[in-house]
Amino acid sequence: MSDMKPTLPISIVALLVVAFLQVPVLVVVLTSFSETSYLTIPPQGWTLKWFAEVLSDPVYIRAIRNSLILAVSSTLLSLVLGVAAAYALFRKAIPGSEAITALLMAPLIVPSVVIGVAMLQYVTLVGLRGSFLVLIVAHVVITVPYILRSALASLSGLDVSVEEAARVLGADGFTAFRLVTLPLIKPGLVAGALFAFVTSMENVPVTIFLASARQTTLPILIFSSVEMGVNPGVAAISTLLIVATVIVLLLAERWTGFHKFV
Amino acid sequence: MTGQRSAWLLIAPLLLVLLLSFVVPLVLLLPTSFQEYQPGQGMVAGSFTWENYLRIATDGYYREVVLRTLALGLGVTVLCLLTGYPVAYLIVRGHPRWRLPLTLLVIFPLMLNLVVRSFGWIVLLTNRGVVNNLLIDLGLIERPLKLMFNMTGLLIGLTHIYLPFMVLMLVAALQNVPRDVEAAAATLGSSRTHVFWSVTLPLTAPGIIGGSILVFVLTISALVTPRMLGGPTYQVMATLIYDEYMQLLDWPSGSALSFALAASTLVIIWLSSRMTRRWAGMA
Repeated sequence: MSDMKPTLPISIVALLVVAFLQVPVLVVVLTSFSETSYLTIPPQGWTLKWFAEVLSDPVYIRAIRNSLILAVSSTLLSLVLGVAAAYALFRKAIPGSEAITALLMAPLIVPSVVIGVAMLQYVTLVGLRGSFLVLIVAHVVITVPYILRSALASLSGLDVSVEEAARVLGADGFTAFRLVTLPLIKPGLVAGALFAFVTSMENVPVTIFLASARQTTLPILIFSSVEMGVNPGVAAISTLLIVATVIVLLLAERWTGFHKFV
Repeated sequence: MTGQRSAWLLIAPLLLVLLLSFVVPLVLLLPTSFQEYQPGQGMVAGSFTWENYLRIATDGYYREVVLRTLALGLGVTVLCLLTGYPVAYLIVRGHPRWRLPLTLLVIFPLMLNLVVRSFGWIVLLTNRGVVNNLLIDLGLIERPLKLMFNMTGLLIGLTHIYLPFMVLMLVAALQNVPRDVEAAAATLGSSRTHVFWSVTLPLTAPGIIGGSILVFVLTISALVTPRMLGGPTYQVMATLIYDEYMQLLDWPSGSALSFALAASTLVIIWLSSRMTRRWAGMA
């Protein structure tokens, strides 16, 4: 119906808001190339020295490595645990599956800072403070709802008879799942895994209570260095994260039509 | 085949992880919130007091922080709704060719590291930041405006952070509006504006409520952006919890505040789900 199309003023307002969403990103990228030691727009001269400085700083390198190890391992663990659980819930063989789903999704509702302090007290109590495994498990808790949500959504759109056909033809339960169901829900799982990865990569409120100085992650490092004042090094590392995000988002869009899963 | 047994085997590992590292830690936090705290000595073993909870309601400083947090939640929700609706409308009803690029531009900030987004706002809003420099260069102001460490900064920053959620919820709601209902209203002589206010807007109410609840709950629980843009002095509930644990080491008070925060988010979500269910029942 043509006459409910957005009017010109509405379209202009909407485009301004979308532009507003990109402003901090553009500002960070522009300032990271400035030769000055303070952040300024337009940038004064063009230099890559802040990138060189950050990438040769062992503190930053370790933080990037910690973040990647943590995000990859917690996403993989969430994927295995979450898909298994979603599959069990989907087959509806378990009584009280609604309550179980609510429990598994609860980490999304409870404020992260509360999960953080609860974990801090708990690991102090059982004497596991400073263990990297604790950090991985904590990240599984906060990332698994995303996997679960996308796995349940993908499974619900699935025709059960396809998998049953495979079993009639002689495949055992796991083989039928691996060869038939898994490929069908893969796009949804990729999107869920991406969300889990991003959530782990940017988490501060849980990590900051649990990570020791050696386990500092990239977002924690940026978060605490900003308390000392802003500097172009932070802008440079932020620019690298922005570029990485753009690449990952575009690849995900090409592979899975990512925007449909958000 | 024992379907139920294999299903339990599939779900047990995750249930165990969540029980041991989410449920139990939260339950164990509860007794802490009723303990007495002596500065310099820590928690008093075996003590029981309501003081930590009473203080949140009676102490002037705590009350100010709680009210500020709620006001912030309300302000950010309203701002997200007002700015998000036109964007969602353009995405759903605008030219189809714009749809994907616009959607990706809305999702992109959402996928970008939260710390980076907040850092971007610091660069923009500090005393000698981009916004103030620009306004001074244009001759609009003489002295820098105070845009950080106050409500203004938090409102701008948090609206930016949570706007994508609102837009995505509203897009979903607008897509569900049956076009022929609007067409019917228009055929019956309603003006565009009237069709919008009396048909489109009410039909997107579930999305408006859902988006608002989501943004409100996320805002009152936010730690990173309020601390980065508000500094250590302009506190909200989450940053106060952080300081009580990490700086003051007053765990009893921090855990009471944690339960107050968690309880308010749970109550809001529970109330809203009841409300939408009742609405759905009426329709």
